Amino acid sequence: MPHSERHEELVALLALGAPLGADAAELERHRAEGCAVCEALLAEGREAATALGASVASTLPPPELRERILGALGPRRASPPPAAPWRVFAAAAALLLAAVVFDDARLRRDREELRSRSADLAGRLHDAETALAERTLRARVLESDDMQMMRLGGSGPQSGARGMVCWSAKARRGILMAGRLAPLPSDRQYELWVFQNGKPVNAGVFDADASGRAVFESAPFPEAEAQNFAVTVEPRGGMPSPTGPVVLVGAPA
Amino acid sequence: MIPSESDAVLMARIEARDARALGELYDRYAPRLLGLARRILGGGGEAEEVVQEVFLFAWRSAASYDGGRGAVLSWLLIATRSRAIDRLRARGAGSRPPLRPLEDAGDPPAVDDVEASSADREWQAICRSAVGELPAEQRAVLELAYFEGLTQQEIAERTATPLGTVKTRARLGLMKLRERLRPYRRSGTDAP
Repeated sequence: MPHSERHEELVALLALGAPLGADAAELERHRAEGCAVCEALLAEGREAATALGASVASTLPPPELRERILGALGPRRASPPPAAPWRVFAAAAALLLAAVVFDDARLRRDREELRSRSADLAGRLHDAETALAERTLRARVLESDDMQMMRLGGSGPQSGARGMVCWSAKARRGILMAGRLAPLPSDRQYELWVFQNGKPVNAGVFDADASGRAVFESAPFPEAEAQNFAVTVEPRGGMPSPTGPVVLVGAPA
Repeated sequence: MIPSESDAVLMARIEARDARALGELYDRYAPRLLGLARRILGGGGEAEEVVQEVFLFAWRSAASYDGGRGAVLSWLLIATRSRAIDRLRARGAGSRPPLRPLEDAGDPPAVDDVEASSADREWQAICRSAVGELPAEQRAVLELAYFEGLTQQEIAERTATPLGTVKTRARLGLMKLRERLRPYRRSGTDAP
């Protein structure tokens, strides 16, 4: 069967690690015919899919995990062979060993100190990067000459939540700043809706930080005019139309 | 963005059964792998078990790592994702997503790992922004497939979208991701 867009769709799903079910046999047959396009797409697609995994925030493992892993290793490299068995050298070796052990302890102390300093610096760098990213995205909307603002009030299960959307019809984007949002289970996300022609349109999903705050740049709006905004709780990744409770909503003038 | 020489050297030392090299590999990448495993499996011990399996796999199978086909981190991420998804599927929850509470008592918080090199950190930021720039509906399909291991039918049900649209979004989304990452690839070698 000649190569078609349908094969490319199946290759994309395969590269993402999604089981193909009934379509698997079809792609299998096509690849067996030696389609070079599909092989190239699959290799590149797998690499691109790994970027999803590489994009996830790191989590510091508990200290005992390292020991557990190193303790479970099988055979290791044998120790280097012993030095020449002459007594005089053995004494020298013992002295050398003592010096090395002493030096090793000092190096370890230095390493601990460096590690704690670099942890501190990494934390500061992260904070600075976050602040810069937020400032850049704010500038894109806030510096446009048609910037508008709307306050959002808490609603339903989160009546204490507060928010504000700044948007530009020219930029067709908005920035949501919200606070006092409740933590969500990891399979849920907040989804922003922009009301256009009286209907809610998906404007992207976001997470609140540990203190319930979020600054989020919306996805581009399909239309320029925005009549209202709302935020709902949806399954992670978002839904095409709202299904969950409304937690923030605007009051258009 | 090419794999650092020390990664290749570490792998060679691991292949020669040098346990300290595995410790160094762990220090470098365990937080990344645990982050991914927890994203898929949620908090709790299972994600740590996956990380343990992956490093034991790296110890046993260092010889099967082919530097020409991708960076060490990619190799480890693929191993982590496939093991975590296997466990997720083994939970037998059918099409239901598992409940994955973020704030499990006693679980360490997400951090910027101290051992990560600046190139590694930069790569993480590039990937994050490439994924973040995808249109929301394409990103949702990619994430549901990659992080939840859903079939195309399950994704269609979950997003209330026709099956044909799911396939198109998977193709377009992955294509865009590939295009965004293309400038960071070097000849013959994948980015990490």
